[in-house]
Amino acid sequence: MTDSLTEAGGNYGFYFDQSACTGCKACAVSCKDKHDLPIGVNWRRVVEYSGGSWQQHGDTFTPNVFTYYTSIACNHCEDPVCVQVCPTTAMTQREDGTVFVDEDKCVGCRYCEWACPYSAPQFNVETGHMSKCDLCYDYRETGQAPACVDACPSRALDWGPIEELREKYGDVDAIAPLPDPTLTKPRLVITPHRDAQPWNDASGQIANPKEI
Amino acid sequence: MNVHELPMILFTVIAQMCVGTFIVLGVITLIASRRHDVRTVERLTEPVVYAIGPAMVLGLAASTLHMNDITNTLNVFRNVGSSWLSREIVFGIAFAALGFAFALLQWFKIATIRVRQLVAAATALTGIALIWSMSQIYYSLQTVPAWNTPIVPFHFFATTLMLGALAAGCALMLTATIRHRRQRTTGDTGTGTEPTEDTGSSEGSGEGSGNALATMVRTRVAQINAPTTTTEWTLTTRTVQWLAVASATIGVLVLASYPLHIADLATQGATTAAAIFSGTFFATRLILLGIAAVILALFTYRAAGQALRENPTLLTTLMTAAFTLALIAEIMGRSLHYDSMIRVGI
Repeated sequence: MTDSLTEAGGNYGFYFDQSACTGCKACAVSCKDKHDLPIGVNWRRVVEYSGGSWQQHGDTFTPNVFTYYTSIACNHCEDPVCVQVCPTTAMTQREDGTVFVDEDKCVGCRYCEWACPYSAPQFNVETGHMSKCDLCYDYRETGQAPACVDACPSRALDWGPIEELREKYGDVDAIAPLPDPTLTKPRLVITPHRDAQPWNDASGQIANPKEI
Repeated sequence: MNVHELPMILFTVIAQMCVGTFIVLGVITLIASRRHDVRTVERLTEPVVYAIGPAMVLGLAASTLHMNDITNTLNVFRNVGSSWLSREIVFGIAFAALGFAFALLQWFKIATIRVRQLVAAATALTGIALIWSMSQIYYSLQTVPAWNTPIVPFHFFATTLMLGALAAGCALMLTATIRHRRQRTTGDTGTGTEPTEDTGSSEGSGEGSGNALATMVRTRVAQINAPTTTTEWTLTTRTVQWLAVASATIGVLVLASYPLHIADLATQGATTAAAIFSGTFFATRLILLGIAAVILALFTYRAAGQALRENPTLLTTLMTAAFTLALIAEIMGRSLHYDSMIRVGI
């Protein structure tokens, strides 16, 4: 495969199969390795979401607990709030719909970090600039898939033009602990875990806040 | 205390104080002009105007520390069409520039008083635009529940007017004290505004422009520091009384706004953010605000009603204490504002 995967109007996004994810974090590690990210900067992270309750039947209490993983990077949103708030226009949406940081413009004010509900833009102390997933633009230019997609042993990740992903996998993206998708319209499709909770009626909590 | 956001805390509080002081001076000028002549009103407000400049420069300097790569600074204007942060910077610099222009016109008495008033009005409007865009930076973020509420613009404008009133009052009293000291040391009688006509003539004295400028500046300083007349003193104390009432009113409103804010956050399920507004730090902020803006301000009101021109010390001390405590309370409040940045999602 050598054809360009950076077509203008491609509007690329990610697909994530929550029912297949084991939480192994190979995606996060391959991303970190590919982009040589410093400590504290993790463009792709795996969120562990847990919760549960007890049901009483007579004298018997039955536990009903759940945990599921969500692998998340940048969703290259249709309404990227990071691009809207950036004072410098360093946060830019490419012709192909993906969002990247132009390091020649960024002042490192971290306003995008405040705004993004997916924690996609992250501050790189070494450069003094913001940094984020660009859907492996350099790999795509040479016809390769993003590093995380190819690294997943469960084949839980896929990527492509969002229209194609939605045709293939549906249009679910409103899963806790992800936020209300109407805020930024993420280019993300999820096959939900059997215990997946809707974003606005969730009873669990993030079990690994320090890892994300 | 949120040390991480210290540059932003200092910038927002100081800039709000500067805008507030400028607006309060404008209101004082408008109201006092109805009963007093131009010179009396200018003698009251003018010294305070010159104090705003250095404070605003300090605030803007603090704001630059928020950036991590200042070599790209000039890019911050690029996204004015969509980013409130760009707009804030534009209005912040415009406010400083217009304020500086006004101070220059005022100091050298350039242009007619009408022109100067127009420049002042433009400065005040720019200041309001600055506070508005500053609050929209936070208010517009739908992803941060503790910021996406009308409480934020309310708090920002409350800080603006309260610190503005207290800073103006403090500056008025310090001016009165300096004038009083000068009067004692020079043995002046308190009627004098005699060097007024020197302003024009000293320019053309031909002794080299640097020298002439120095003489002129010295004359202006002497003019500004000339002893307070009885009318001026009455006007000063009346003004201080009104400023005290204004600050007490705003202080009570701010105190009352917190239960609403906390309840609102709790109903939305943003309990972590709601919990920021509890504990010793929050309690200390509320108590300081209560002492400064309400209790001290009311003491100031009483003291201003009785203070004598010959002894401005008590009133000056009260006013300075109220201002200092309120400034600390507001810095603490702003620190809590940044602490409450807890996003939805992950």
